Amino acid sequence: MEKSQIKDELDNIFKKIFNNETLEISENMSANDVDNWDSLSHMLLITEIEDHFSIKFKLRELNKMKNVGVLIDILSSKLN
Amino acid sequence: MQDNSFILNFNIIKKIVLNISLVFIVVGIFDFLIGNTLRFFYFKESSGLHYRTTYAIDSTQADVLIFGASTANHHYVPQVFENSLNMTYYNTGRDGQGILYQLAVLKSILKRYKPSVIILDHTARFNNSEKDFERLSALLPYYKDHKEIRAIIEKKSSFEQIKLLSNIYPYNSNMLTIALGNLEFNKKRKPDIKGYVELNGIWEGALDSINNKGDINNDIIKIRALEEFIELSKNSGANLFIIKSPVFKISPNNIDSLLTTISLKHKIPFYNFKQDSIFLNNPFLFKDLVHLNKEGATVISNIICDSIKQHL
Amino acid sequence: MVFTSFNFLIFFPIVIVLYYLIPSRIRWCFLLLTSIFFYANVLPLYVILLLFVSLITYLFGIIIEREKSDSKKEKFLIIGIILVFLPLFIFKYYDFLNEMIFNFMDYFSIRFPLPKLNLLLPVGISFYTFMAIGYLFDIYNEEIKAEKNIGLITLFLSFFPLVLSGPIERAPSMLPQFKSELTFNYEKAVQGFKFIIWGYFMKLVVADRIGIYTDVVLSNMEYHSGKTLLFTVLIYPLQLYADLGGYSLIAIGVAGVLGIKVRRNFNRPFFATTLSEFWRRWHMSLISWILDYVYTPLSFAFRRYKMKGVLLTVILTLFIMGMWHGATLTYLMWALFQGVVLSFEAITKNKKFAFEKKYNLSKKWWYIAFGISITYILFAFSFLTGGNRHTFSEGIMAFEKIINFSGSIFIDSPSNLIFIILGAFILLLKDFKEEFFSSRLLFFNNKLKIIRILSYSFIIILILLIGVFDAGQFIYFKF
Repeated sequence: MEKSQIKDELDNIFKKIFNNETLEISENMSANDVDNWDSLSHMLLITEIEDHFSIKFKLRELNKMKNVGVLIDILSSKLN
Repeated sequence: MQDNSFILNFNIIKKIVLNISLVFIVVGIFDFLIGNTLRFFYFKESSGLHYRTTYAIDSTQADVLIFGASTANHHYVPQVFENSLNMTYYNTGRDGQGILYQLAVLKSILKRYKPSVIILDHTARFNNSEKDFERLSALLPYYKDHKEIRAIIEKKSSFEQIKLLSNIYPYNSNMLTIALGNLEFNKKRKPDIKGYVELNGIWEGALDSINNKGDINNDIIKIRALEEFIELSKNSGANLFIIKSPVFKISPNNIDSLLTTISLKHKIPFYNFKQDSIFLNNPFLFKDLVHLNKEGATVISNIICDSIKQHL
Repeated sequence: MVFTSFNFLIFFPIVIVLYYLIPSRIRWCFLLLTSIFFYANVLPLYVILLLFVSLITYLFGIIIEREKSDSKKEKFLIIGIILVFLPLFIFKYYDFLNEMIFNFMDYFSIRFPLPKLNLLLPVGISFYTFMAIGYLFDIYNEEIKAEKNIGLITLFLSFFPLVLSGPIERAPSMLPQFKSELTFNYEKAVQGFKFIIWGYFMKLVVADRIGIYTDVVLSNMEYHSGKTLLFTVLIYPLQLYADLGGYSLIAIGVAGVLGIKVRRNFNRPFFATTLSEFWRRWHMSLISWILDYVYTPLSFAFRRYKMKGVLLTVILTLFIMGMWHGATLTYLMWALFQGVVLSFEAITKNKKFAFEKKYNLSKKWWYIAFGISITYILFAFSFLTGGNRHTFSEGIMAFEKIINFSGSIFIDSPSNLIFIILGAFILLLKDFKEEFFSSRLLFFNNKLKIIRILSYSFIIILILLIGVFDAGQFIYFKF
């Protein structure tokens, strides 16, 4: 799966989780840039992504996700 | 690669040494000025805890002297002793102080004169407690002028001599007490009669119980201090009496074996009121679990006077 | 040797001079030896424990890194953590468990008493255990490479400024510093001395002074009036802050003088406007450790259970924190109280935010002051539910007394009270200034040297005048 495609699909997941239709994700975006992106919604986001792409993250990968860019990298390496 | 840090930049060393010395000098000047001002006013106090210690060490000429901690200070009514024994009286008891403090005060007094009756109210235990040594800070103001008590003060910690380089140190935390001691109204606020401070109020709580297993971990320094206290008193020709004050607590073991042994060894009369029924049955004689109120103090003072009269 | 002992005032200058006299390449060795000496000075035998934990940490770091398969990595991580945790467990919980098992067997008339160990908890053991666990986790998470030099691992765990009571540091920020050339840095050193002096002020003038009062009240709560208890409850948080905050500030300062940067532990906690913000400013090194190594792994493991999983994680995390503080019911009650308030704040967060926006409140001074007061009171009163000083029922009894506002306030010595107020006032004033006017009214950082020197001297004189050096200062409570 292409990274751009992953990004588009992630965009929808983010909109759903954060209940914000105007939210546009970018590679450098991190938890600090989004209202309500706290540890609780983070876990909801992770499970939503796992379900959507039918994958399972490892704890190590979770710890590495410092921003959306890393998340996309991890997803693309898992999906290919 | 050359290791530059090995030879530190001379200018930086100069700078930091200069700054640290500057702080030291400024602190030193303030310490000298403030410390000596505090010392001046400390010895000018005319009432209160400091004043009573100064008076005991430097001035009293009384025939009967009371030594001990809070129980000594609050349980011995001067009028009773003066009328019964027909002697002058002073109470050197100080809250929370142990045998080391009492020994120091006795040493200073014996340098000046010989009292005829010495009563040691020994309530404290001999257990190992650093606090008892640290509370010797009450004697720090006398370190400078009283060589005889220096060895005792130095037991407080290993570095007392270095700490005493500071002029403020002996008066640490005491500035407000010193100010109060110089004011007239303090005499009304915390009155004393010849060192004795009466306690008012009646204990309304229940009888307590103690289940201590006697003296464990006896501190040899304190035992030696007690023996030295006994010997100094005896050698001065004074009549020494050791007393254990009553408590409003039931104790399974009433016998204070160590104090009994020591008093027997030195042939000193020892009166143990700790579990005396006169007091245990009369809660209204107590201010709290371990202190008698004025009524209780009068009762015990009369009993003690009657007992010691036989020895005089 | 604790920082507040006179021995340390002699020890530290000698360390500084020797440290900067030897070549910078071997300074870490000197730090290691000094740290071991420092720790041995407290309790010689317990150095063995520290070395044992270091060895395990070192070995398992390498093993976890070398292992290829994830399941094996995980297995070794768990074994490593168990082994590292073992000494702490034995020392902290052995007697507790032993007694429980004994009582249980006694019930069936089986008497096989194991000796009660009555072990003295080795100082700092929780701190270096936590740091070791963090290191193993970081290797498992591939945040850092396993350290090949066992000396550096031992130094990381035993580093003397931090070993007794933190801050709880992390390997990724400490190991590179120990490896790099440790050179003298004037700014760092000056900053370090500032921290040390202020830390001593917090500890000796504020914390220990308040402690004289609170010790007397908290050890005889049943004899004290409602007003006395209220006053105690309100000053107790200040004591805790000045105590741990002051002590860790000295630690940070000592490390700074040696050229090593250590994370801060408190960020003016009493100016937080919500309890959740408070916990981001209070004992930060512990809280972030718990977040990273307890909360996150747990919530990740329970992520499938959605809201229930989160709740389970929060309860488990607070339970673990409670067990760490002391294996008592009162701590669990305390944790529960915190949990309830924090959950309430989390649930109402959005509404509160909208409300503030609507009335434009977030910049209003009285609104901020209100938030600060409520947070302080919540934190202060949470100690009535528990803590190490009293039982839960005693806390309830105290709360009733406070509500009744009974009796008169206990003042043994007016000067003690005045010193409490003076010390707390200066401490809060400094925090206030830094929180709201950080660039104005500079004392320690003033452009004029004379003001800087006088500021230092003033604090030192104040410590000499009203600091609490030992039990020589005490108040006498005649019930």
